[in-house]
Amino acid sequence: MATQQLHPGNCGDLGWFIIMAAIVRLSSVCRRGVKPLFYQGTLLARPLVVPHNYQEQPHQLTARIHASQALNAGSGSKAASLHWTGERVVSILLLALGPAAYFSPCPAVDYSLAAALTLHGHWGIGQILTDYVHGDAKIKMANAGLFLLSTVTFAGLCYFNYNDVGLCKAIALLWSK
Amino acid sequence: MSNMALLLRTFARQGVCLSRQHYGVFYRHAAPMGTTAKEEMNKFWAKNNKLNRPMSPHLTIYNWSVPMMMSITFRGTGVGLSGAISAFALAALVLPGTYPHYLDLIHSLSVGPYLIGLAKFGLAFPVSFHTLNGIRHLWWDLGKGFRLPEVYRTGYTVIGLSIITSLAVAFLL
Repeated sequence: MATQQLHPGNCGDLGWFIIMAAIVRLSSVCRRGVKPLFYQGTLLARPLVVPHNYQEQPHQLTARIHASQALNAGSGSKAASLHWTGERVVSILLLALGPAAYFSPCPAVDYSLAAALTLHGHWGIGQILTDYVHGDAKIKMANAGLFLLSTVTFAGLCYFNYNDVGLCKAIALLWSK
Repeated sequence: MSNMALLLRTFARQGVCLSRQHYGVFYRHAAPMGTTAKEEMNKFWAKNNKLNRPMSPHLTIYNWSVPMMMSITFRGTGVGLSGAISAFALAALVLPGTYPHYLDLIHSLSVGPYLIGLAKFGLAFPVSFHTLNGIRHLWWDLGKGFRLPEVYRTGYTVIGLSIITSLAVAFLL
């Protein structure tokens, strides 16, 4: 700081520096009286002057922040948080269904797989749309399209489970070649 | 310029007016904003579009890293797998005949064994990579493994295991 050279660009800074230093000095004088001014030394040596009532300030600040939160607390919704948790739960469920499909294939696993796969995919694509699609109308359209796709997907998978060999058997057959 | 910043902060922290003493900081009195975050975001995008502002180069100039590539691959495999499942479901609804019928059709193409192995690997790898990286994501959700060496270590583990399991599933099962 003290080694800063005087270039044409820095003169403005130095001017502000002096004015600010003067204002800070003046304010500290107003609050605490003249005596502390002599004890603090030069501003250049210790620019971060800690006011004597600094300890109280964070407390007052926090009190204010809590007050503003109390204003909003009632209107907050846990929907987003629950959605996040739901996504993780479905992911873990899908992880468990993998070994289940391999070691004990059955209709229960077939339909669970259909549901978990569709929901996981639906929420996943939903996050991608949220990332890349902007504007109220476009977001609504994209999400409507996604909902339609997911519904058709689930319907198709259930139809396959009911009228055809079922998901577990299908993968087994595919791999048997 | 750092002097300026330091001074500004000191100046702001102490406050200048005597009447603002008890606040200690230039802090507007807490009040709920007139617009929601969503509204603000939409306003941002609408303004940019209206003014026809070009987008700053980002993907073309930023140095790619392994975590970045793994992240977009994770997303890509997710979209691909989801698309494949939807296509399969649509086909099940629309196409006449049953699944074994279509399987026999593919069998009758009599493709060489190595090409079959390659095709199986092509199917298995996205599933494997997405599953393993998904576990890595769940690990992060628990709050673990965020330090940069750990990110790289788990990343390389996922890549290695994906290749190994895909090969095993494709050629051994």
